[in-house]
Amino acid sequence: MKNKFVSIVAAALLAFPMLAHAAPVKIGFINSITGKEAQIGENLTNGAAMAIEDLKAKGIQVELVKEDDGGDPKNALAAYEKLVTRDAVIGVVGPYTSGCANVVASRADQYQVPLLVPAAAKEEITMKGYKNVFRLNAPANVYSQVLMDAVKAFKPKTIAFVYAATDFGVSTVKTAQENAAKMGLQEVANEKYQQGQPDYRPSLSKVKAANPDLVFLVSYDADAILLMRQAKEIGLAPKAFLGAGAGYTTAQFAQQTEISSLVVSATQWTDDVNWPGAADFGRRYKAKYAKEPSYHAACAYEAMRIMVETASKAKTAPKLRADLKAGSWNGILGPVKFADYAGFTNQNNHPMLVQQIQNGKYETVYPAQFSKKALVYPFKR
Amino acid sequence: MKQIAFLSVLAAGAVLLPLVIGENPYVIGILISMLMMAALSSAWNILGGYAGQYSFGHAAYFGAGAYTTMILVTLYNLNPLFCIAVGIVVASIIALITGSIVFRLRGHYFGLASIAVAEVVRLSVLNFNFTGGAQGILLTDVALWNLDLNSKIPFYYGMLLVLVVTLSITAYLRRSKTGYYLQAIREDQDAAASLGINIYFYKNKALLLSAALTSVLGSLYGLYIRFIDTSAVLDLRLSIEIILTAIIGGVGTLWGPVIGALLLVPLAEMLRSNLIGDMLIKAGLVSETSGVGLFLKGSLANAHVLVYGIITVLCILYLPKGILGLFRRKK
Amino acid sequence: MSFLQPLISGILTGGVYALAGIGMSLVFGVMNISNFAHGDLMMLGMYLAFFAFTLLHIDPYISLVLIIPISFFFGYMMERIFINKVIHHPHQNQILLTIGLGLIMSNTALLAFTSDPKILTTTYSSSAFNPFGDVSVSVPLLLSFLITCAITIILYFFLSKTSTGMALRATSQNREAAQLMGINVAKMSAIAFGIGTALAATAGALIAPTYYIHPLAGHTFLLKAFTICVLGGLGSVVGAGVGGIIIGVVEAMSSTYLSSDWKDVIVFVIFLAVLLLRPQGLFGKKGGQ
Repeated sequence: MKNKFVSIVAAALLAFPMLAHAAPVKIGFINSITGKEAQIGENLTNGAAMAIEDLKAKGIQVELVKEDDGGDPKNALAAYEKLVTRDAVIGVVGPYTSGCANVVASRADQYQVPLLVPAAAKEEITMKGYKNVFRLNAPANVYSQVLMDAVKAFKPKTIAFVYAATDFGVSTVKTAQENAAKMGLQEVANEKYQQGQPDYRPSLSKVKAANPDLVFLVSYDADAILLMRQAKEIGLAPKAFLGAGAGYTTAQFAQQTEISSLVVSATQWTDDVNWPGAADFGRRYKAKYAKEPSYHAACAYEAMRIMVETASKAKTAPKLRADLKAGSWNGILGPVKFADYAGFTNQNNHPMLVQQIQNGKYETVYPAQFSKKALVYPFKR
Repeated sequence: MKQIAFLSVLAAGAVLLPLVIGENPYVIGILISMLMMAALSSAWNILGGYAGQYSFGHAAYFGAGAYTTMILVTLYNLNPLFCIAVGIVVASIIALITGSIVFRLRGHYFGLASIAVAEVVRLSVLNFNFTGGAQGILLTDVALWNLDLNSKIPFYYGMLLVLVVTLSITAYLRRSKTGYYLQAIREDQDAAASLGINIYFYKNKALLLSAALTSVLGSLYGLYIRFIDTSAVLDLRLSIEIILTAIIGGVGTLWGPVIGALLLVPLAEMLRSNLIGDMLIKAGLVSETSGVGLFLKGSLANAHVLVYGIITVLCILYLPKGILGLFRRKK
Repeated sequence: MSFLQPLISGILTGGVYALAGIGMSLVFGVMNISNFAHGDLMMLGMYLAFFAFTLLHIDPYISLVLIIPISFFFGYMMERIFINKVIHHPHQNQILLTIGLGLIMSNTALLAFTSDPKILTTTYSSSAFNPFGDVSVSVPLLLSFLITCAITIILYFFLSKTSTGMALRATSQNREAAQLMGINVAKMSAIAFGIGTALAATAGALIAPTYYIHPLAGHTFLLKAFTICVLGGLGSVVGAGVGGIIIGVVEAMSSTYLSSDWKDVIVFVIFLAVLLLRPQGLFGKKGGQ
C-alpha cells in the first residue's frame, strides 16, 4: 500500500517532462507569498511583475515560475530544488527572508544554478564564498553604518537601541553597536521586544529615562507606527530617531505625519534619488498598484531585470553565472556590480540612502551626491 | 506471520525506492518530509493515541534535538551521532520536567499546559545568545564517516530508520503490559489508578519514549536542512501539524499517522507549488490565459493555506476517526 | 522612573486582554471547548471597526453598536453550522476544528484585504494626558478600559439576573442536569458562542485605534486569552476580568524592572504555577476541572 502510493505520487511529480531548451528563457522566483512576511512579499511580487512587463515590452520573453516559501526554510529548499530539477530554470531570484535565503544559498553551488538574492539583509549569505550566489541589496551592517554617518557631523554622544527580536533586528543592532563604539557613542539603553505587542510604553519609558541623543529602531510594518505613537504619548523626544529600513520606510508610516515627521531612516532606494529610471518606476508603480513602492519592490524589479536580461543572452546556467559575475548594470538601483570585497563574494556594493520624513514625504538627505534636501537635526515635535 | 511478511515487503520497497526513482532531489526531498512527518506523528501517537494525553507541545522536543545537535556540531564539531544522543538526553530532561507539571492536569488544562511549556522553551531559545537567538544557526559543513551529506540519500534512510523503530516500538507496546496500562489510562484514568496502575509512571514512560524519538527527528532535520531557527523547529504550528497528521490518519492506530503523512505532506506540497493548477494547464484542460487559468495561477497560488484550512475542517467534521476509522466502520 | 507609569499602562492594556479572555472563558464554561479561532474572531472585530470608520465614518467606539450584533450573529451561525457537530467529540478534534476555522478566516481576510496592515488613525490615537506628574495616560486606552468595565458589568447582570443568563450558567455548571431541567442546551451553546464572538470582536474593535489591523493580528492575543481564562478559572467572568488586568500589569512590570524580551516567559511561568498550585484558577470553584 505504502510504496504503491509513493510511486504514484512520485510518478505524478515526474509526469511532466522537463523543457530544458524551450524558446523563452526560464527563470524561477521564490518569494514569501503567504506567512508572516507576506506583506513585504507582495511588494516583491509587484516589483518583479513590473520588471517582466517592461522586459516583454522590450521584446525579451521569459517564462517565470513562481514559488511560495511561506517564510519556511524547508519550503524554500523544496522550491529551489523543484525549480532546478523539475522546471529546469537556469537562474533563480529570491528568496526574501534571510533564513530562507541562507538555506537556498548553501545549496546553489551543489546544483550550479545561479541565485540572485534581491532583498535579504543577513551578511553571511554572501560571506561563505558561494560561487553561484549573488546579492543586489546592501547587507545588514550598511543600514547602521549609513545612518550613523549621516548624523556624525552633529556629534551625538549617547544612543539607545529599540528593536524587534527577529533575525534582521538582532543582526542590524549587533553591527550598529560596533559602529556606535567606533564613533565613541555611549549605549544607554537596549530594549529588545517581541513583535506584535500592543503595549511598548514600559520599554519606551525606560529609554526616555536614559535620555539618549539617538534612538536607533528596528521594527517591522505597523509596529513602527505603534512604537512612534507610544513614544509621542509618553513624550520621548531624542535628538534623532534613526529607523533601520523595514517599518520606518513604508508610505503608511510617512502618512502618519503627527508621529513620523522628521524620523530618519536608512533605505536601499527612494523615488527621488537620481538613479536612472527611479522616479519613473515610482510613478508607474503608484499608478499600477495604487500605493507607494517600498525599497523591496525596487530591489525585486531590478533583480528580476538583471537576471532576465542576462539569462536571455546567456541561455545556460554556467554562462549566466559568468555573465552575472562579469557584467555591470545601471538602473533604478544605481550602478550594480557583483564584486568580491571585505569578505563578501558576488555582493553588489550598494550605497544605501538616508531619508527623512519632511512634510509627510520621504526626502533623501544623505549621502550628499544623491540628495536634494538637508537633514533636519535635532528632532522636534 | 502474514503481517510480518507484509511489513518486510513494505520495508524492502521503501529501502529500494531511491534506487528506482534515482537521484531526484526534489522528489527525495518530499519523501524525506513524508517520512519525517510520519515518524513525528507516530511518535506523538505513543503518548497521544495510546495514553490519550494530547500534547500540543511536541515542537519542544523536536527543537531540543535540533538545537542540541546544531549547537554541538557548529561549536565543537563533534560526531553528529554523538550529538543526536546528547539531543535525546536534553529532550528527555525537558520531557521529565514537562511531565512533572502537565501530568497532574487533565483535559483542557493538560493541552494548554503543554503549549505553555513549549512556549517557554521557544521564547528562552529566542532570548539566549548561545542558541543563536533570533538569528538561528547555520551549519556550513558536517561530516560523518565518508557519507556524502550534501546528498539526500543518507537522510532518507535516517528518517526511514527512525520511522521503522517508532513503528516497531508502537507495535510492541500495543501487546505489552505497558501498552495495556496506557490504554487503560486513556479509557479511564481513575479506574486505571484504582486497579493499582501507577498512572504517573506510565504516562511519563510514554512521554519519554515519544520525546526521545521526536528529538532524533529534530536532530536529523537540523543536519538535513542545515539551518534552524525558532520558527522552523519550535513553533506551535509544527505541534499542530503533527497532531493533525495523526488525526487525519487515525489516532491510536499503528498505521494512522503514516497514512496521514502520506496524504498530507504531498497535498501541502502540491498546494504550495501550485502543482494542481500547473497540471490542469499543462494537460490542456484549462487554457493559461482563460479566466480559470488566471485564477489557478494567480489566486489559488496565494490561497493554499486557506485550502489546507478547509480540508482540516472537512476532515474533522466528516472523518472524525481518521481515514483508518472509515475502514473500521465498514468492516 | 515612576512606578505608576507601568502600573497604569498595564492596567489599561490588561482591560482589553480581559475582554478577549472573558469571551473565551464563557465559551469554555458553557461548551467545554478551547476555541483556537478566538484570535481570528478578534481580527474580525478589528476589520469591522476599520471599515465602519473608513467607509461609514463612524467612530470605532460608537461602531460597537453595529459590531456587537453582527459578530454575535456570526458566532451564533458558526456554532450552529460547525462547532455543535463536534460538541461530543474528543477535545483534540474540537481544537483542530477551531484551528481550521481560524485558518479559513485569517486566510480569507488575507485574500480579501491583503496583508498590508491597516492603521485606524483617529484624532485621539496618540493623545495622552498627565494626571500625576509625568505619568502619561493614553486617552484611547482609557476609553477602551471604561467600555470594557461597562460591558463586563452588563454581562455580569445578564448572566445572574435574566432567565437566558441563568440558563447559560446552569449549562456551564452541569450540561446533563441542565438538559434534564428542560434547558435547550444546544441553543445555549450557540448563544454562548455568539456572546463569546461578540466579546472577542469588541476587544478587537476597542484595540483597533491604538493597534494595527492585519489578518493575523489576532494571534498575539490568542495565547494571552487562554492564559487569562485559566488564571481566572474557566467559565468565570469576574475571574477572566481580573486575570486580564493581572496579565497586563505583570507584562508592564516585567518589561520595566526585568527585560522586555522575557516578559512573555514570565507570563507563561505564572500560568503554569497557577495550574499547579490552584488548577481551578483564582476565581474558579474547586473540582470544576
